[in-house]
Amino acid sequence: MRLPKAALLREVLSNLLRRPVTIEYPKVPIEPERGFRGRHVVDGNKCIGCRLCAVECPTGAIEMRKYPQKEKPVPVIHYDLCIFCYHCVYVCPVKAYITTGNRYMPTPDRGEMVGEPVFKSEGENIKVKY
Amino acid sequence: MSHVVEIPVGPQHPALHEPILFRLLVEGERIVRVVPSIGYNHRGIEKLAETNTFVKGLYICGRVCGICNIVHATTYTMAIERIQGVEVPPRARYLRVLVNELERIHSHMLIVAVMAEVLGFESLFMLIMRDREAVMQLKELVTGNRVLGDYLIFGGVRRDIDDAVAHRILRTLDHIEERVRYYRRVFEEDVTINKRLRGVGPISRAEAVRYCLVGPTARGSGVETDVRAEDPYEAYGELEFNVVTYPDGDSWSRMMVRIDEILESIEIIRQVLKRLPQGQAVPKTFKRALPKGEAIARAEAPRGELVYHVISDGKPTPYRVKIRTPSMANVINGIVAFKDAYIADAPAIIASFDPCISCMERVVEVVDLDKRKSTVVSLRELAGWRG
Repeated sequence: MRLPKAALLREVLSNLLRRPVTIEYPKVPIEPERGFRGRHVVDGNKCIGCRLCAVECPTGAIEMRKYPQKEKPVPVIHYDLCIFCYHCVYVCPVKAYITTGNRYMPTPDRGEMVGEPVFKSEGENIKVKY
Repeated sequence: MSHVVEIPVGPQHPALHEPILFRLLVEGERIVRVVPSIGYNHRGIEKLAETNTFVKGLYICGRVCGICNIVHATTYTMAIERIQGVEVPPRARYLRVLVNELERIHSHMLIVAVMAEVLGFESLFMLIMRDREAVMQLKELVTGNRVLGDYLIFGGVRRDIDDAVAHRILRTLDHIEERVRYYRRVFEEDVTINKRLRGVGPISRAEAVRYCLVGPTARGSGVETDVRAEDPYEAYGELEFNVVTYPDGDSWSRMMVRIDEILESIEIIRQVLKRLPQGQAVPKTFKRALPKGEAIARAEAPRGELVYHVISDGKPTPYRVKIRTPSMANVINGIVAFKDAYIADAPAIIASFDPCISCMERVVEVVDLDKRKSTVVSLRELAGWRG
């Protein structure tokens, strides 16, 4: 009955010699798992402006905004409202969303909390800011 | 003539870091009566679900509780699918079981860790939380977020898994199983834990049945109740697992039920990955409209039986979404366990119910059990109570 106490003691002692399990976050970056739901933006060229994502967004974080490159309004994501459920990504009929694993949210500028759509010109690779 | 003193425990984290107030009436060091008051965390989530469409409701219900978000979404989806008459593909049913069991593992590991912390055994708390992190990462890998899964959709799941993910899950679970077996031994044999938990907060089998306790709290009293076995939903009917029960009904039994259930869940996940059927799991589209009708769905949440009653009157929004969470039964009626306990044991008893306060904050009704009789505390008394 008294043995396991020593077993736990051994566990504790072995942990003393180990490196800390805690990740020292700002110094050491945390890599999200594959498929992590981070910041996402719309590929403006693919989007057909069907509004389905804006209508079904649970928090109403998607605004349809008019851009000169496009005839119909294109979704703009407000990250300060977004809950990252990725319902928009799932329902998009043309799979126009570009997803990233970026989980870094803090910012001194609220203007950065807006995900503007990305438009690419002919032959250009799509670049996402985040 | 004895002197009864009242000691409020809470609402700022009584044992657990969630707001609930237990008014302990004590005579010397013995508790003679306990009055729980709830309502500190009421968010009106049922009303919110009524004012949003059925699809948005899926994400609202997923946020009733952080720890058991997947099982809330599963039960809501099951109710909706019953009204719609939608058949779920077999692969999706198995994947739902997979995420539900991952959730059960990390939820049980959390409460086992918190129990260790409540007993003042902080190194054990840290060790269990360290291993729990691996399960959270598996959940992130499968669903896309370590806490809020948002994995389900009407008629299926939103993501599929591939062989690499399945392999990673199996490898991590091997490690978790080894660790949980070790913690099981610690809980079984450690002197401190045995002294603090054995015989503390006993609930007899008859009391557990009479007060409608559910989940591990009832199973710790020897009541063989498990929705997964009684009323198999999703793919549980095709999987083999045991319903863990312990006869003693004390805090220790309730914790041991949870530890053994982690091991059972690991076995279930292994079976799921072995028998995972081929085919489509992610539906290309889903039915948004619901016909008139109502459905009741129940599922075994980590804390017990979870019931959703969804009524649709043919409009885009539900007429009513009634949620009945397991903590409601366990915390309010479980105060029978405080009978004649020491004040120092109160946190251990509270933690042994694994109460999820944000889950249960939907009704304001307090049942107050005296030593012999039970009374109902009125809302007015509850609100205007000043001692």
